[in-house]
Amino acid sequence: MSSRQTNVEETYEDEENDELFVDLIRKNPRPALIWLAGVAILVLLEIGRAFAGLGQLIGIVSYLAGGLAGVPGYVGGNVAGVAGGIVGSITTAITAVVMLLLVSIPFAGRVPDRAVDVLGLDLTRYQRRWTKRSVLALVLAGGAALFALSPVGGVTALVSSGVDSLASSLPALTSRETIPNQGYRAPDGGWEGTFMGLSPAIAWAIRLTLVFLYAMVCLVWGWKGFEIYRTHYRQADWTPADDTIRRFKGNYWGLFGLAIVLLFVVLALWAPAVSPVQAEHNIYQPNAHDFQYLTDDGEVESTTHVFANLDSRSDGQGTVSPMSYDTYDRWAPLGTTARGQDMMTHLSYGARTSLIIGITAIGLGALIAVVLSLLAAYYKGITDIATVMASDTIQAIPALLLIMLLSVIFQESNHPIAQPLDGGFLLALIFALAYWPGMWRAIRGPSLQVAEQEWVDAAKSYGQTPLRTMRKHMAPYIAGYILIYASLLIGGVIISTAALTFLGLGINPPTPEWGRLIDGGQSYVATSSWHVATIPGIAIVLVVVAFNALGDAIRDAIDPEADVEESEAATAGGGA
Amino acid sequence: MSGNTIETTPNGERNDDERSRGRDTMVSIRDLKTYYEGGGLFDNPPVKAVDGVSFDIYRGETLGLVGESGCGKTTLGRTLIQLEEATGGEVLFDDTDITSLTGDQLYEWRRNAQMVFQDPDSSLNDRMTIGEIVREPLDVHDWKTPRERRNRVKKLLDQVGLAAEHYFRYPHQFSGGQRQRIGIARTLALNPEFIVLDEPVSALDVSVQAEIINLLEELQDELDLTYLFIAHDLSVVRHICDRVAVMYLGNIMEIGPTEELFNDPANPYTHALLSAIPRPDPTQRRDRITLHGTPPNPRYPPSGCPFSTRCPARIRPEAYEALDDDVWDGINALREILRERMRATRSVRERIRERFDMETRFATMDETYEELFGGLDVPPEAEEVLQRVADIAGDHDERRALDALDEEFGSICDGVDPDGSDEEIDPEYYTVGENDRKSYCHRHDDGFREPAPVLDDRH
Repeated sequence: MSSRQTNVEETYEDEENDELFVDLIRKNPRPALIWLAGVAILVLLEIGRAFAGLGQLIGIVSYLAGGLAGVPGYVGGNVAGVAGGIVGSITTAITAVVMLLLVSIPFAGRVPDRAVDVLGLDLTRYQRRWTKRSVLALVLAGGAALFALSPVGGVTALVSSGVDSLASSLPALTSRETIPNQGYRAPDGGWEGTFMGLSPAIAWAIRLTLVFLYAMVCLVWGWKGFEIYRTHYRQADWTPADDTIRRFKGNYWGLFGLAIVLLFVVLALWAPAVSPVQAEHNIYQPNAHDFQYLTDDGEVESTTHVFANLDSRSDGQGTVSPMSYDTYDRWAPLGTTARGQDMMTHLSYGARTSLIIGITAIGLGALIAVVLSLLAAYYKGITDIATVMASDTIQAIPALLLIMLLSVIFQESNHPIAQPLDGGFLLALIFALAYWPGMWRAIRGPSLQVAEQEWVDAAKSYGQTPLRTMRKHMAPYIAGYILIYASLLIGGVIISTAALTFLGLGINPPTPEWGRLIDGGQSYVATSSWHVATIPGIAIVLVVVAFNALGDAIRDAIDPEADVEESEAATAGGGA
Repeated sequence: MSGNTIETTPNGERNDDERSRGRDTMVSIRDLKTYYEGGGLFDNPPVKAVDGVSFDIYRGETLGLVGESGCGKTTLGRTLIQLEEATGGEVLFDDTDITSLTGDQLYEWRRNAQMVFQDPDSSLNDRMTIGEIVREPLDVHDWKTPRERRNRVKKLLDQVGLAAEHYFRYPHQFSGGQRQRIGIARTLALNPEFIVLDEPVSALDVSVQAEIINLLEELQDELDLTYLFIAHDLSVVRHICDRVAVMYLGNIMEIGPTEELFNDPANPYTHALLSAIPRPDPTQRRDRITLHGTPPNPRYPPSGCPFSTRCPARIRPEAYEALDDDVWDGINALREILRERMRATRSVRERIRERFDMETRFATMDETYEELFGGLDVPPEAEEVLQRVADIAGDHDERRALDALDEEFGSICDGVDPDGSDEEIDPEYYTVGENDRKSYCHRHDDGFREPAPVLDDRH
């Protein structure tokens, strides 16, 4: 039995779970089918937007892939500059191989045995694992080469352009085409070009209502799906997650946080539908897009947004207040900014920017923190010391100072990383670097604690691999903690982004950002244009408070002792 | 302490001994040492948790391993299944030295030896269902097909007295005894031959303990298992074990068949340990042997016999044989204090405070002396030596003070060679009783009285 097939339990495990799950569905397919039909209807309603989202996803992935593909060449190029061309090429190759192997390690367990058996070698378990990793890395390298060097690469461009054209041609319930709100006052009264001839304000309000209705239905249907799964298809009649959900449901402060956070997410996801005017027209390229309006002389004329914005500035002298039309009959539900742009558009796209930065920064930081804390807790000794040193080194520099330093250096040198989102992506990476030590520190204790549990010893005693021990037996216990700290910290990231932008260091125009709105409006707070700084200010406060409330609620919900003594746990809950 | 190997393999002369005939050694431990390094950058001496242990475990038997907390019995058990790395010596498992196994060989071997853990709250991952927990060893070793694994898990659950419906329950939903059953099912999953039971019932209610013990016995009969049963509950050990090994400070003090060892203990430590068992018969008066002090720090074990610092039957120099027991207790305590002081480093501040007769965290030697021997009737010749020792120690020359103390009151038990050589003398394993029993004590040597009568005299 020395070289029996090994290390495939993962694939087996999935198959097996599927099998049981599939069995249950086969026995009683009705609830699942009804639910799936609902999902299909929901997707069809917003099919155009779904494709638009897909197109954006493809864009992000190809940007990241392009960036990663450039790393070996970049490293090799730097080395070549110092040590000569051949060394540089070798370095390029080595970097590429290392990167491919790193990518393949987490997925190698899923490589079927056949892929290795084909080689006809008699391998030990250890060798087999590495062979699988190498095979996967080789396949990845082949795929990458195929994309880079052959016409196959063109296919992706084709696909992405196809997705884009589908996105613009397919209808969506909440799209600007279905419910247009931009039009002009007709000379004979009434409105031209708006939804059913209604006023832009009402058309916009209908669209906004639809967006939130749709989002709510999606949520409810998702929850329904979980309930259907729980009653019909889950093998266990109770899991620890049930208790967590039950406790969360009773926490009104947490539910309030969740509601605001969802509002924020919906605002970001449906920014094109929520904004009364396209961001492209009003913010990014106002001089390239024009629109029609009714002049005082009773004639319909055309002008560009850039000129119209100049007349619609809320800068103390002139003000377009919330819930009003500007002189060009453009509907401004939240008024205009100091530069005459539409505030609602700015706010919703700014939410998008904040969310992308927050999720990227916290996601990346949390990943680093979790991986390092698990490694340090499992192996202890030198790994632990190295991690402590790395985090202490970063924490020794004041976080905001470090962030400013790095962002200035990269922005001034016009580094390619500083391009996406006008520095937003760069900011996210810097936040991840600056904030992982904090998260790591927060979960270090729990990691060390869980590493001492006897079930970790038990796993070792029957030969479980360290990687899988960490994932199955340690990571789930860290997940709760990291979730809490991530949700608390994401508010911090949003506020720091705004603060940096306020100082003129974070995200450059034209990418919309809340901090810049506050910066632009701060001098008019005492004037009739008070809303310019106040509205985004209130929004930031609300979002940060909501994320904190959510984090608190998660902490209380995952703590099983909260059940035992409800009142005492509430007072002592601050410990985590 | 090396080189004292117990020759437990039955030899030709003993072929009339029924118990040892047909016995088949499964695990053979030779001079096993497990040290925990001090940690940190400084070169602290290691903690000698297991310090040169040798014995055999026979196929199909239950070997009990008893001793007080911290004596190294759990570490020994963990080393046997390679959860701890041995510092020295070997563990022969069917003639393979498992301490030298690495990588795939170790992974393959692991299915032969498993462990039941002490705390059923901590040994089961709360986030997994019972099915997943019991199945994991099968998954790790890629045992047959998923469907067969699932069936095996259900069979195992049935075997340990749970139901197949429990497959999708979580550990939260079970009581301590049931959780221990789940742990046992997981241990059995890979069909091991040898199982280390690390205090499997000590965290359970007394009523549940018996159920688990019976389950373990049934499983042993059914599956031909070999157990190493680690425990501190002597009555449980007496009930379940075929043989018992008594451990103290990283050493096996006595090992032999259970009934014989319980009825007629040979080693002074075994005497002391057994005398701690409460007796149900109130009319039967037997003096409890109370051990003074605490076990020595395993980082700095005493020289000579590990039990010498607390032994109630310690060999005393002839000149002081008649000395009062309380005085002897005082002398032993003095030795411990000196050893402790020798290790303690004094800071500059403390040296200065001492110079100016200010208070430090070290009591002065006079105070110590007064405390130990104050109310006692110490014979003049002993008093003179003790005073001298205290004076030397007062000058912070503990090493010389200890030498002086050993010279006068030391015996072979403290590692002092009676023939006068500087070499340290360790006890040997002497065969006692009729059935291949070994005891680690100088008193079994022909030159000394046996421990039992000495204990009777002294207590």
